[in-house]
Amino acid sequence: MSNYVEMWKDLGMDLDTHDQLCQVLPTAFGDVYLSQENRPEGMGFWDFVVSEIHGIRPSELIEAQKKGQKVFGTFCVYVPDEVVIAANGIVTGLCGGSQFWVPGGEKVLPKSTCPLIKASVGARLDRTCPFFRIADMYVGETTCDGKKKAWEILGKDVPMYIMDVPQMKREKDIQKWAEEIAAFAKEVEKFTGNEITVEKLNEAIRTINEKRQAMARVFAATKGSNLPISGKDRLLMTQIAFFDDPSRCAQMCNKLADELEQRNRDGVSVFPAGTKRILLTGTPLAIPNWKLHHIIETSGAAVVCEEMCTGTRYFENLVDETQTTLEGQFRALSERYMKNNCACFTPNTGRIDDILRLAKEYQVDGVIDVNLKFCCLYDTEGYTVEKALKEAGIPVLGIETDYTDTDAEQLRTRIGAFIELLK
Amino acid sequence: MDDRVQELNYYILFDNYTQGLALQELLRTEGLPSRIAPTLRSIQGELSCGMSLLVSQTHIDAVRACIARHRAAHHSIVEMPCQIKPGRNKFC
Amino acid sequence: MRYAIGIDIGSTCTKTAVLNEAFEPVLLFVQPTGWSSVDTAGAVRARLSQEGFDPRRYPCVATGYGRVAVPFADRTITEITCHARGAMLLHNSADLTVIDIGGQDTKIIRVQGGRANDFIMNDKCSAGTGRFLEVMANTMALRPDELCELAATGGGVSISSMCTVFAESEVISLIGRGESRENIAFAVVDSIVKKVASQAGRLEPDAGCVCLTGGLCECDYIRRALGAALRTTIVASPQGRYAGALGAACYALQTPKKEDPS
Repeated sequence: MSNYVEMWKDLGMDLDTHDQLCQVLPTAFGDVYLSQENRPEGMGFWDFVVSEIHGIRPSELIEAQKKGQKVFGTFCVYVPDEVVIAANGIVTGLCGGSQFWVPGGEKVLPKSTCPLIKASVGARLDRTCPFFRIADMYVGETTCDGKKKAWEILGKDVPMYIMDVPQMKREKDIQKWAEEIAAFAKEVEKFTGNEITVEKLNEAIRTINEKRQAMARVFAATKGSNLPISGKDRLLMTQIAFFDDPSRCAQMCNKLADELEQRNRDGVSVFPAGTKRILLTGTPLAIPNWKLHHIIETSGAAVVCEEMCTGTRYFENLVDETQTTLEGQFRALSERYMKNNCACFTPNTGRIDDILRLAKEYQVDGVIDVNLKFCCLYDTEGYTVEKALKEAGIPVLGIETDYTDTDAEQLRTRIGAFIELLK
Repeated sequence: MDDRVQELNYYILFDNYTQGLALQELLRTEGLPSRIAPTLRSIQGELSCGMSLLVSQTHIDAVRACIARHRAAHHSIVEMPCQIKPGRNKFC
Repeated sequence: MRYAIGIDIGSTCTKTAVLNEAFEPVLLFVQPTGWSSVDTAGAVRARLSQEGFDPRRYPCVATGYGRVAVPFADRTITEITCHARGAMLLHNSADLTVIDIGGQDTKIIRVQGGRANDFIMNDKCSAGTGRFLEVMANTMALRPDELCELAATGGGVSISSMCTVFAESEVISLIGRGESRENIAFAVVDSIVKKVASQAGRLEPDAGCVCLTGGLCECDYIRRALGAALRTTIVASPQGRYAGALGAACYALQTPKKEDPS
């Protein structure tokens, strides 16, 4: 049944305020997504999920809780889903991608906090996000100062577990992260009452690896000159991957990838030949943040790849599946997760290598480096990113923005001019 | 500024998504294009945040005929001037 | 004779330029943009027809923030690309750095080998723009050009706030303190110059000539002060405020006229 009002009431949500979001989302989704022509049929699944966004998955999670499963809400691609799944737990993303939630966050946080954190805290405190209401435990990490302090405000009546992410990538840091993962596993075992065995963890590692490979196939479909899918559609797939069941996610991504690969063989493109190809780098774009993709793709260019947490950082690199001890598995997990190049590390030259590699693999004409306002880490690293790209002869545009609509016209001018100057 | 004749869109509303997905499958087998769209709040009434099927003016008569022929379950069909405006700059 | 029209609808003023085939300006005019870009576009159309350059006959390119509001334009191009092209025409150079101080934004564009290849634009804030100067001039009961002239003879005072609203209260307290108008005017211009110079610093302006375009280029003192801050000589053309419109007209010369639907 798609009548979710009762469920939202039971979750203690603020229905009146939540309804304001229900009013704007269908219109925005229409403008951004349904205005596109000739979309892959496989996108129907994600369109469906959006149309039931705060209903269908939450009701699945509630059913699972009734059967004794625990739901872990996470904020970051460093938190290893494998550990939770091995203990028969469920991982879900949490709300944080809309201006709708920002004023709620600003009631308690400094204005100069990044919109992602303000929106998350607002969604939680204003009781307008079902995922925050459902989660049995929140799992935070220490990837930036804003988040570290926000956890102290978030974790009031729901258990809040925090993983200490290293800030450098020396051998001892990789070892330390393996220990953090082991400690997290202990906590998850205690919280779920389920033991994590080598077999279960290996099964979970395989499940998540399959999801990563399926997403990688969808991304790979836009490496060639034919573009079978828009950047917007790919972004939607990535955004929803944070909330979905990993096996279903893999299945749907593989189905979409089959269609995209067929489109590539048939030369079916959603952009005219010669459309400028853009690599987007920088801070994450949480659902329903579609602003930049929409502006870029209605200004004569296509986003062919995202070097973001809602992009390649989410699925690149696999976890070794051959380990036979828990200790070996935790180390293997650490090695995979520590290959992720977030701006919270210093030095972070791996990220520059990633960007240059992706620019080549996806044959991009230019790079747009995006910073969510007040994200000091990515903002500062933007200098290094721009310098490296310029040295490599790749045009780059730095953009700073937030979730509001007010800068849309300025962004159109800036992005439009950037596309005009691409050769 | 757009002086073209205002295009009409049709939203098929449902009591639940099972009905909606079933009708989409039916339309697909009959070769009739429809797209899943989040139901606009202004036409949703007492139905809660859910899916609708978006059908263009070109296909609505054939879709209505198909629904009648199969007595396909649905709530109602709402006619709306096209609400899709990619240049609106209203995000959420 | 073929002609081409460029219209630059800026936040404060709308500039129109008509070029002949030899890229020579045959008509230039400016008017306030006012409340409605659509109405302004209509007024531009009437003036063009009256002068014998009916936009139904000649190709037309629109630029500036109101570019989408020109129904008779054959093409729209962003003001960054158009300013670069217009500055190349005005200064007869293919390698230059263009500093455009506009009503609501400031752009620094680097042109190399006849094409724009990098640019910097201020964000939403109005610091370092024409609007900043206009607000301060208003507070001091001066016209913007009068403020610029006075600034050349002042000195010794500075405004620390970049925010237009806060800077305005600083100016008010300077007035209250009895500071001379020349010195306050100096502080206002100095604030704009510092802001623009720090933006330009991010672009490493290594290209040959540095030129100033946009409404403020008519203020000689700003040109000199900015040159001193950037340790270079900045040139300005008397037609500098038309750079965007002229650039648009250059592109219009290469644009085929659309069929008139009416």
